[in-house]
Amino acid sequence: MWSYAFRRVLMTIPTLLLVITVCYLMLHATPGGPFDSERKISAAVMANLQAKYHLDLPLWQQYLYYLKSLLQGDLGASFRYADWSVNDLVANALPISALIGGTALLLSVVIGIVLGTIAALRQNSLVDYFVMLIGNLGSAFPSFVIGPVLILVFAIWLAWLPAGGWNDYKIHYMVLPIALLTFINVSTIGRVMRGSLIEVMNSNFIRTAKAKGLPMRTIVMRHALKPALMPVISVVGPIAISTITGAVVTESVFSLPGLGKLIINGASNRDYTLVLGLVVLVTVVAVLINLLVDLCYALLDPKIRY
Amino acid sequence: MKKNMSFSVLAASVVLAMGANAAFAAKVPAGVQLAAKQELTRNNGSEPESLDPALAESVGANNIARDLFEALTAADNDGRIVPGLAESWKQTDPTTWVFTLRKNAKWSDGVQVTADDVVYGIRRFLDPKTASPYASTYGAFLLNGVEAAEGKKALTDIGIKAINKLTVEVKTPYPVAFLPEVMSNNQLGPAPRHAIEKHGKDWTKPGKLVGNGAFVLKDWAVNSKIVIEKNPQYWDAKAVVLSKVTYLPIEDGFADVKLYQSGENDWVYQLPPGTYEKYKAELPKDVRNSPMLGLRYYSLNAKDPVMKDKRVRQALSMVIDRDILAAKITADGQLPAYSVVVKGTAGADATTYDWAKWPMAQRVAEAKKLLAAAGLQAGSKIKFTYNTSEYHKKMAIFAASEWKTKLGLNTELENMEFKVLLKKRHDGEYQIARNGWVADYNDATTFLTLVQCGSDQNDNGNCNPKAEELIKQGNQAKDAAKRKQLLTQATKMIMDDYPIIPLLSYTTPRLVKPYVGGYTGKNSLDRYRNKDLYIIKH
Repeated sequence: MWSYAFRRVLMTIPTLLLVITVCYLMLHATPGGPFDSERKISAAVMANLQAKYHLDLPLWQQYLYYLKSLLQGDLGASFRYADWSVNDLVANALPISALIGGTALLLSVVIGIVLGTIAALRQNSLVDYFVMLIGNLGSAFPSFVIGPVLILVFAIWLAWLPAGGWNDYKIHYMVLPIALLTFINVSTIGRVMRGSLIEVMNSNFIRTAKAKGLPMRTIVMRHALKPALMPVISVVGPIAISTITGAVVTESVFSLPGLGKLIINGASNRDYTLVLGLVVLVTVVAVLINLLVDLCYALLDPKIRY
Repeated sequence: MKKNMSFSVLAASVVLAMGANAAFAAKVPAGVQLAAKQELTRNNGSEPESLDPALAESVGANNIARDLFEALTAADNDGRIVPGLAESWKQTDPTTWVFTLRKNAKWSDGVQVTADDVVYGIRRFLDPKTASPYASTYGAFLLNGVEAAEGKKALTDIGIKAINKLTVEVKTPYPVAFLPEVMSNNQLGPAPRHAIEKHGKDWTKPGKLVGNGAFVLKDWAVNSKIVIEKNPQYWDAKAVVLSKVTYLPIEDGFADVKLYQSGENDWVYQLPPGTYEKYKAELPKDVRNSPMLGLRYYSLNAKDPVMKDKRVRQALSMVIDRDILAAKITADGQLPAYSVVVKGTAGADATTYDWAKWPMAQRVAEAKKLLAAAGLQAGSKIKFTYNTSEYHKKMAIFAASEWKTKLGLNTELENMEFKVLLKKRHDGEYQIARNGWVADYNDATTFLTLVQCGSDQNDNGNCNPKAEELIKQGNQAKDAAKRKQLLTQATKMIMDDYPIIPLLSYTTPRLVKPYVGGYTGKNSLDRYRNKDLYIIKH
């Protein structure tokens, strides 16, 4: 298994190179550059700016220059945030996004699995309807609707929590964003868990276990839960990537200085280096999470061996 | 002789208007009780691109630069030009100004601010290596400024010189009557050479940034907040009332208002579109809306086969009912506009069209005649390009409906990302395009750049050589009234060519807590220094 994991990590290199190249070409093909602004800059000043950021070189030279810096761990200077390097910006935003996204992910996995299990075992009961209602609400209402409602209730009417912003990792600034992300994710994980467990509970090997007279608790914990978790693990992968690296809407609603904000500002300002830096980061995170997911499959399903 | 006399009268009046050593900081009216805690949180609309005054381009970055640095002059909260780092100035000949610096002006690390710092700051700003996006805009007011920014002249050729430790001489390429106004911009202010050379490109970071403004940088968390505190070294520190200001970089108008309502923000940068009337009813004491020197307009591409006909351009402009647009469509207190120069701008009067006072039926009849003469028939297609935004969409739909119902023209609306629109507009790849401009300084020339021959800011491709000559004459004139007359005449001539469709002049609809004192609503460039603000007991 370890050699498999190692091979997978090695595979990240060509993946990264491909992603960077495609993204690089796409960015440069998009009309409008980092220095186009309402106040048109004179040709000579534009030339100064392009020289400062090496944009005056042929595209392939810029590309090689970028790759060379990347190998040295330097993601380059930001165009949009002139006083900061992309490394600085990522170093500031990543812990915030990772903390909020990671906590929300952990909570939603635990709550989603518990709620999904209860709903599946009590199919068509009141508890089931309640869980399904939450699931449907979370799927039906987008986060840009639920977020402002949370702010209205908890920050403006009740005045318990701040309406947004970030204050040096103070916990009460994180409660609402984490709650929102958790709610949205729980709805997906809960529904998948419920459906999957219902299916497993109707399968032959569970019927056999029941026929053997095993107690319900043992049947669920020992035999049903593991196979039922397989589809859940499949959805947790993509959810984890989007929650940790790009909770764009949540960050905007709660004015959080995370990675989502940087991605949006980077793209709309044609901040080539910032966008590329974030793409590298998201790619690495995605590869690692996908690897984790695959390793989890092996733990859950004895048929899978690496 | 006469010319000389009017020149000296002008120079004397400038110096008199300033008052020599008067302090122009927060003026707390008698009877107003100040709060014990003098802390303000204001949203700045976006994250500044830089805290380096030479690189500041956006409104937000310049707001913070005005607190951290002080240029030779400054604008107070009524928009008047007052002494800043310079305690006085005089015009010694039509193109030469001498500024005398304060003896007690210090950098925040205690080092004295000298004439050399001003020279260094300006040379650094115009240095091609600095690559400041504003270099050609403000460099144009200094002798050889643009040439130096373009690398064609040495930095030492720029019209800025230290006469002695506390005196700088500024030379302009032509008489610039409003130079003190221009010199209030921090790009043309001093820079702390000793700190920049010590810290390199990190010099704007907290703990390293050395400024000469009323406040010092305490904390900077990107996309989260910038905290500044009162600068004890500032020459006028005892007149500064606020002890701490937190700038927020919130772009989402609704998030901004929610923070305001929950008490975490005292100043909403700009109300979200469509909410002005609502908040005016709900929070009448908090809503502030004052005119600003900015213009919303549509560019008409003079190189386009259809738009190159002046009659078509005129017809399109005539039928848009600005009153309805202002009152019902944007509904945020903006004022109808008919000129490229916004009403209230110094240096020229806002012109208008005779037809602006006609009944709409008459305007439509005339416009139809013009279109017929131009050979553009009802049912013809025109194309309008704008950047994706609810606000611009509403205005575009209104304009398209005016053109459809009154002239029978079918408008194709094309929306795109802002950067793409900018590129298309700058490259002249459009027929009609949304446009807007906020004055860089309070003088008509900031707006005239939008319609002048060969100007970088002219996206329309129009050129009126006669008007150009008048502007040139006006700029050479030593008499302010004569200059104003020439520039107004030039404006009228250009507007009669219909290069653009002026629509509305800007206002700043926002929420400011009633306890924020010093917010006068009279600063038409919307440049409120925190030095002039205070918190009233509440």
